[in-house]
Amino acid sequence: MVNELRELMHEATDRPPRDHDDLSAVLSGGRRRVRVRRAAVVGGTALAAGAISLGSYAWLNPAPADLAAAGVPRAEGPVIRVAGAQPAVEGEDYRELTSYANEDLDTDNGEYFDGVTDDGLVLFREGQTAERMVERYALMDPATGEKWWLPERPGDGEQSWAIELGSERLVIMRLVTVGSSTLMETRPVLDVYDRTTGTWRTITWPGLPASDFPSFVQIGPDGRAYVAVMADRGDIPEGGRPTLPSGEVDESDAEGDVRALWSMSLTDPDDVRDEGVRVGSFAFDGDDMVWTDSTNGAAGMVHVRDLTTGEESSFDPRLGERCNLLGFDAAGGRIAMTQYCGTYDGVRDDRVQVVTKDGEQVVTLQDDGIDAGDLVAGGDYLTLTSYARATVGTYLYDFDERQLLRLSDSRSAFTVGQGPTPGDQLMWTTASGALSRTFGNAGGEVHLGEIIR
Amino acid sequence: MRDEAAFVEFAQASRDRLRRTAYLLCGDWDQASDLVQEGLVRVYVRWPRLVRHGGELAYARKAVVSAFLDHKRRRSSTERPQETDPTTASGEDVATAVTTRAALMSALADLPPRQRACVVLRYFEDLSVADTAALLGCTEGTVKSQTSRALFSLRSMFEDSPIGELSEGAVSW
Repeated sequence: MVNELRELMHEATDRPPRDHDDLSAVLSGGRRRVRVRRAAVVGGTALAAGAISLGSYAWLNPAPADLAAAGVPRAEGPVIRVAGAQPAVEGEDYRELTSYANEDLDTDNGEYFDGVTDDGLVLFREGQTAERMVERYALMDPATGEKWWLPERPGDGEQSWAIELGSERLVIMRLVTVGSSTLMETRPVLDVYDRTTGTWRTITWPGLPASDFPSFVQIGPDGRAYVAVMADRGDIPEGGRPTLPSGEVDESDAEGDVRALWSMSLTDPDDVRDEGVRVGSFAFDGDDMVWTDSTNGAAGMVHVRDLTTGEESSFDPRLGERCNLLGFDAAGGRIAMTQYCGTYDGVRDDRVQVVTKDGEQVVTLQDDGIDAGDLVAGGDYLTLTSYARATVGTYLYDFDERQLLRLSDSRSAFTVGQGPTPGDQLMWTTASGALSRTFGNAGGEVHLGEIIR
Repeated sequence: MRDEAAFVEFAQASRDRLRRTAYLLCGDWDQASDLVQEGLVRVYVRWPRLVRHGGELAYARKAVVSAFLDHKRRRSSTERPQETDPTTASGEDVATAVTTRAALMSALADLPPRQRACVVLRYFEDLSVADTAALLGCTEGTVKSQTSRALFSLRSMFEDSPIGELSEGAVSW
C-alpha cells in the first residue's frame, strides 16, 4: 500500500473542529500591538531578540517633513528639530570603544550587545539559531574582543533584558507565560549571575499578579525590584478609534493605561508587596521615584517622591493635547518623555520632551519619526533615534552646551544593542548587510562609544 | 492604510485555510487557532503596507509559520528538534498507530520544526522551492536539503509501520 503525502495531509485536515475564536480578539490584539510597538513596551508577545524595533513607514518618505506646513502644533517651551544637528566628530565628541556587525538578521538570529557592566565589559549575547540551539552569554573586553563565556542561563530561551550589570552580579529579566494563556499573561523572572562564584540563580515571585505587558523591572535605591502590572487599560472609544484621511487609524490622544506598582525581594520569593501606588510609567533617579498617572496614552501628572523622607510633589508636564506617553526616563534631575502626538497631513508629530523634576521645561525635540529618548551619562546628555529617511540616525543632545549632534546617518531595523551602560558610555546602531525586501537592510551593527566631555 | 473592513474580510476568508496549515505544523487544533490569531495580529500590524504592495495571503502564511517557529524557539532553548519529543509518538508508536492520519501527524511531530515547515509548505500549500525559501528566509538549497531530509525520515517511519509506504507524489523543483 502506498500513501501519497499530499493526500494524507489534506485528509488529516479535512474535518477541523469548530474554531471558537472570533476576530474581535485579533482586532483588539492588532490595535494594541500597533500602539505598543510605538511604545516599545515589553510583553508576553514582545518581538523576539533581533526583531524589528519600529515600523518602517518612514522609509517610504524620502523628503524631510515640513511640520509647519502640515499643521503640526509646536510644543511648549524651547523646541529643537533634528534636522539642525551638527555631525558628531569621532575623537572630538566621542570615541568608539568597539562595534559588532550582523550582516543578515533577516535569515536567522545573530549576536548582540545587551549592555555594559559597571567595570566596562560588554554583555555579549549569542542568539539561538537553527544551527545553534542554545543562547549563551559572554562578558567581552571591548578593547581586545576577548570573551569569557558564562554557564548556560536558566530558562527556556525566553527573550531577556539586562536590568543591572554590576561588577559583582548581573541581573537579567525575562517574562514567563503564566497558566494556559500562550500569548499574553506573563510574569517577570530575574536570573542573577554571581560573578564571584560563576553561578546563576533564578528568583520568581508566585504572589506577583500575572499581567499582559508588564513594565521592565527596575532595581530601586532600596535594592528591591519594582514592576508595574496592568490595573486599568485605557479604553478604546466606542465605535473604534477615528480614522485619518490616509485611512490609518489615529492612535493619538489615547486614554492611558494605569498600572499597579509592586516590589519584590531579590532573595525571598515570598517577599512581594503591592506598593499601593497607581502609576503609568515610573523611574528612579537617585533617592527619588518619579512616575506619571498613566502611560501609553495620556500621561496625567508627574509625581516625584523622595524615598528617604517620603516628601512628595507633583506637576503638570504640559504634554500636547493629543500626546501619548510612550517612553519615560529620569536621571540627573531631568525627566525625558517620548511621545506620539498625532499625524497631520501624513506628518507625524513625535516628541522627546525633557523637564526638570521641578516641572521646568528644558527642551523638546520635535520631528517626524523620532523615538526612544534616553538620558545617558548621568542625565547630562539625551540620545534619541530618527527613523525618517532624511534625518535617519542616532542623535546626542548636550544639555550644558545646548548642542545636538548626529552620531550616525543610518540605524538598524533590528534591536542589536540595548541595556545599561556605565559612566559616559552609550550604544547606538547603524544599518549593515544587503538591502532586504522587507525592512531596509538585512543586518545591523551595534556601536559602543564614550562621550568626550 | 489600515482599512479594518478589508482586513476583517481577508481574515475571515483566509482563517480556515491558515488554521489547517497551522495544524499540520503543530499537531493541535487549539494551538493552531492560537498561531493563526497571532499570525493575523501580525498581518493587521502590516496591513497598510500589504494592501499597497499586495501579497496579503503570502504574508499571512509567513506570519503563521513564523509564529509557529517562534513558539518552538521560545519554548525551550535546550530542546533539540532532532531528538524525539517524549510527549509525541515514537517510531514504535507509529507502527501501532491505528490510522494513517495518526501516523502522519506522529511522523510530522518527530521532524524538526523547519523540516516540518518545508514539507507542509511544499506538499500541503503546494509552494515552489523559491516561494518556500522566501517564506522561511533561507536559500533554495536549504529548502531542498531540509525537504529531502524530512522526506527520508517520513519514508523511514512509514516503512517501519504496518500501514504501508509513503510516496510524496510529483512536485516541481
